[in-house]
Amino acid sequence: MDVVLECRNLWKIYGKVVALRDVSLEIRKGDIKLVFGPSGSGKSTLARCLGMLTTPTKGDVFLTGERLTAEGVDLNKARARMGFVFQHIWLFHHLTAVGNVELALRHVLRMPETDARTKALEALREVKMDEWADHYPAQLSGGQQQRVGIARALARDPEIIILDEPTSALDPELTGEVIDSLRDLAALGTTMLVISHEMTFAREVATEMVFIDEGMIMERGHPEHFFTEPSNDRTRRFMARLIKRTTRE
Amino acid sequence: MEPFDELVFVLGGLPATLAISVLSFLLGFIIGVPLAFIRTYATRPFQVIVDGYEKVLRGIPEIVIMLFLYFGVGGLPAVGQVFNDPFFSATFALGLRSGANQSQVFRGAIRAIGEEQMLSARSIGLTQIQAIRYVIVPQTLIVAAPGLGSEYALLVKDSAYAFILGVVEMMRRADTLRKITYDMVYPYAIAAFLYILITFPLATYLDTWGSRKKKELGL
Repeated sequence: MDVVLECRNLWKIYGKVVALRDVSLEIRKGDIKLVFGPSGSGKSTLARCLGMLTTPTKGDVFLTGERLTAEGVDLNKARARMGFVFQHIWLFHHLTAVGNVELALRHVLRMPETDARTKALEALREVKMDEWADHYPAQLSGGQQQRVGIARALARDPEIIILDEPTSALDPELTGEVIDSLRDLAALGTTMLVISHEMTFAREVATEMVFIDEGMIMERGHPEHFFTEPSNDRTRRFMARLIKRTTRE
Repeated sequence: MEPFDELVFVLGGLPATLAISVLSFLLGFIIGVPLAFIRTYATRPFQVIVDGYEKVLRGIPEIVIMLFLYFGVGGLPAVGQVFNDPFFSATFALGLRSGANQSQVFRGAIRAIGEEQMLSARSIGLTQIQAIRYVIVPQTLIVAAPGLGSEYALLVKDSAYAFILGVVEMMRRADTLRKITYDMVYPYAIAAFLYILITFPLATYLDTWGSRKKKELGL
């Protein structure tokens, strides 16, 4: 019931490299799925396939039951119902913060100009960036830019937000403000798939953690399971490394 | 003739020079922008066609294109009537090559903006055409501005070839002045001065504006 986004037996192959092998995952309404794993494990590819920004080689993606991998599906419409936040942020350089947020409201949802502006400012307020609405991305810090990125994904009231390592390109002192914004979203019951290695955040808000390595789901379960008794050897080693790093910081 | 009157006489060719330069620039823009996007985003066969267009037009001396259009195409029935006009042929010839040049300028700019902006635009639900219109083009124009300034300067200078077809522009006026006064230096010096005057400020402005904007926006 209430499955928002789902993939079944997903494969993605780039030339000879198998980025995803037979991945199945479902995200229900209100879920916060935290996906983690070593670099090159296929996390980003999974996020992009789920967001239909990359076409999977094999397998299916469903958005509220609609098969997005079917012929002739309007993917623009499907993407408009999902929010995507990128690791390297990628705001539109030529638009102000509010311009970035309202672009989709104006041209995808076709809202009238004043409504779009109001809605965009609302989204910026949610990430505490409304005071910076008229600033260009280049005038903002990395953390502020990423919060605008979150507002941009949020403004359309998407059914799910997919965040691909939203803090890993930021300086350590800037990750806090972005994580705070994500905590606020979690508190509001936003459905999210977050790729992240922020273990404190994961333990606090994730409804399920998914460990991916070599393009496969190695282990999944409640955060407590991962922090106390991961069953897989590789998971245990990776968790140990992550926790060591977190305490050092 | 007083030196001032001579200056005024050459200035009489300014409207034609500016008209040829500006109109051919616009034609080049109208051709060049779509070509750049086709070259970047369309499938292979279309890319090859655009590539061929660019190579051919950039490989032929401007004067050859002009004479070919005026005498060659101008000699054909029906379409010939249009190309029989020296002003039209000269402007069209410059515009065709400018299209090839501007396509390269814009392609470089699109590449500089990068695939990320496109992906980012698609992620919020924009179609490819919308993404090009609202995200890629505005940034492309800024990045391309310095290159467009040089292209404009090139067109102003090459508009002087139109004098061979008989268009009464600045070069023609200078040459006529030379014939009247038997002065071999002053008329061309006036022309040279005026050409610099109408190319340099705009080209420099576009260059500094583009570079400043690029820096400001972090493009």
